[in-house]
Amino acid sequence: MSSPTPFSPDAAIAVTDLHKSFGRHQALNGVTFTVARGSVFGVIGPNGAGKTTIMRALLDIIRPSAGHATVLGIDSRQAGPALRRRIGYLPGELILEGRVTGRRLLRHYADLSGPVSAGYVDELADRLTLDLDRAVRTLSKGNKQKLGIIQAFMHRPLLLVLDEPTSGLDPLMQQEFLAMVQEARGLGQTVFLSSHVISEIQQAADEVAILRDGRVITVNTVDELRTSAIRHLRMNVTGIGPAELAAGLERLPGVGTLECSVTPSGSTEALATLAGQIAPFIQFASTLQLTDLVLEEPDLEESVLRLYVGPQASVVVHS
Amino acid sequence: MSTTEPGTRSGGPQQAERPTHSALPEPADALRRTPIPLFTKVFTDSWRSLVGWGAGLAAAIFLYLPLFPSMTGDAGMQDLINNLPPELTRTLNYEQIGTGAGYTQATVFGLIGFVLMTIATTSWGAAALGGDEESGRLELTLAHGVTRVQVAVQRFAAMLVKILLLAALVFTLVWLLNDSAQLQLNAGYLLGTTLLFAGLSLLIGSVALLGGALTGRRLGGVAAGASVAVIGYVFNALGNQSSDLEWLHALSPYSWAYSNDPLSAGPNTGTIVLFFGASLVLAAVTALVLRRRDIGV
Repeated sequence: MSSPTPFSPDAAIAVTDLHKSFGRHQALNGVTFTVARGSVFGVIGPNGAGKTTIMRALLDIIRPSAGHATVLGIDSRQAGPALRRRIGYLPGELILEGRVTGRRLLRHYADLSGPVSAGYVDELADRLTLDLDRAVRTLSKGNKQKLGIIQAFMHRPLLLVLDEPTSGLDPLMQQEFLAMVQEARGLGQTVFLSSHVISEIQQAADEVAILRDGRVITVNTVDELRTSAIRHLRMNVTGIGPAELAAGLERLPGVGTLECSVTPSGSTEALATLAGQIAPFIQFASTLQLTDLVLEEPDLEESVLRLYVGPQASVVVHS
Repeated sequence: MSTTEPGTRSGGPQQAERPTHSALPEPADALRRTPIPLFTKVFTDSWRSLVGWGAGLAAAIFLYLPLFPSMTGDAGMQDLINNLPPELTRTLNYEQIGTGAGYTQATVFGLIGFVLMTIATTSWGAAALGGDEESGRLELTLAHGVTRVQVAVQRFAAMLVKILLLAALVFTLVWLLNDSAQLQLNAGYLLGTTLLFAGLSLLIGSVALLGGALTGRRLGGVAAGASVAVIGYVFNALGNQSSDLEWLHALSPYSWAYSNDPLSAGPNTGTIVLFFGASLVLAAVTALVLRRRDIGV
C-alpha cells in the first residue's frame, strides 16, 4: 500500500481530504490520494461509492464541501478554460446531442477545447470502428460511448479523466480502448479512470484506489493486488479420502473455503481458494494421485471484495 | 471573458506553472476553430425551430391583417364589437380595433404574435441552460475549454439574436401589408412597437433562462417565463377594467409595452431601453447563478 503524498509537485492530481455532501447524503467522506504524472490510475468501487463525484469535482462541475483538489498543479476551484483544454473528460452518464452527426458533434467540442490535429479524429474513429457520419441518436450505446472516448482523446490532453470508460463496449473494443490508454501513457499523458469492476482496467492501471462509501479504503499497485489475489482451485484425486485430503490441504498457507467430497465416480474432489504463494500447494499436490486439477487465474475482483470484508476461513467435509 | 490561467492569480507554491503543461505542443496541422462556438451552435442546432416560429408568425400576420379592409368597410363589424361585453373588449384590447394601428396592435402584437413569441422565447430560454443541464449535456460542455459565464452569455446572445430576427420578420411583413390592407401605419411607430414586442419577448425569455439556471430544470425555466407572460397579460386585462385596478398595469410588463397604444400614439423609447436593459441585468444574474452552482446534481 503506497501512502499518498498530497501536493507532490509531480502529481497530476492531488486530492486532499475531499468532502462533498448533497443535502443529507454524504457522497465523499474525506478522500485523499495522489496520481503521479504519466501514470494510469484506476478507482474502483461499487456504484454510489463516490467515483463520479470525485471526477466531477476535479472538473469543477461540482464544488467540494471541504478539502481540495489540485489538477495539473492548479486548484480545481480555480480551474479555467485553459486548464480544462488540457483535460479530456468522459462523463459516466454520457448524454450526447442526437440530431447532428458524430463528426459534427466532435467538431463542436474541438471548437471548445481544441486544437485538434487534422485527421486525428478519423484515425481514432477507425481504431474504434465508428461511423462518424451517422446521426448520433441512431448510434447504439456502445457507439455513443466510442464517440465520448474520441471526444476525450482527440485534443491529446495532458490528463484524461474517464468515468466508466469501458461501459457498453464489447470485449474487442475494450482491448482497443486499453491499448489507447497504454499509448497515452507512453506519450506522457496521465489517465485517471474508474470502473465498478477491476477486471476491466487491471491490465491498464498502474495503481488502483478502492473506494467505498465516499472513502478510499486502500491504494495498491495492481501487482500488489495480484500477490494477495485469490485463485480458485479444483482437484480430483484417487486413493485418499475426503477427510485426509482436507487435513493435508488445510495445513497449506493461503487455503480457504475448503470443501472436500466424494464424486459419483468414486474419486475425491476438493474445492478451495488459494491466496499468495502457490509453491507449497504444488509440492503437496505432487504427493497425490491427481486425476484432474484446475487452478484459475487470480480473481482481483474477489481480492478487492476481500479487502472490504476480511478473510473468511471455513472447511466443509462431506464424506 | 478572460481566458488567462486562473491558477496563476491566486499564487501559492503548489499552483506554480509547470513546464510539463506544454508537453504536448499544439499540432501544426490543427483544424481551424469556429469563433464563439457556443453562440453559433445554437443556430446550427435550432434553425429549424427558428424557421418554424417565423412561419407561424407569418401565417398569423397573413391571416389577420388582410381582413382589416373588410372589417372597416362593413359598419356591422364595429357594431358587433360595440355589442360585445365591454369587459371582453377591454381584455382583448379591441377598443381601438376600428383603426389600422389599433387592429394591428390588438391582433398581431397584442395577441397572436405575443402568444407565439412568448412560447418560443420561453422554450428557448428554458432549454438553453435548465434543459441542457437536465438532459446531462451541459456537464460535458462545461468540462471543455469554456467558462460558465461564456456559456450563459453566448446562449443569451443567441436568444437575443433569434428574437431580433423574428421581430425583423414581423416588421417587414406588417409593413409589406400596410398598403394592401389599408392599415395606414407610421413606419417609425411600427419600428418602435416591434422593438417593444421584441423587448417584451426578450424579458420573458431572460426570466426563463434565469429560472432554468436556478433550478437546473427545464420546467423551472418554463414556469418562470410563462408566469411573467401570463401574469403580465392578466394584470393588464384586469387593469383595463376599471380605474380602481389600473395600478396593476405598473406590475405588468405587457402593460409597460402596450398600454399607451404605441402603434398609434408612438412608442416610449424609455420602455424599449427598460426591456433590453432589464434583460441584460437578468442575463448577468443568470451568469452569476450558473457560476455558483453544482451542475447536474
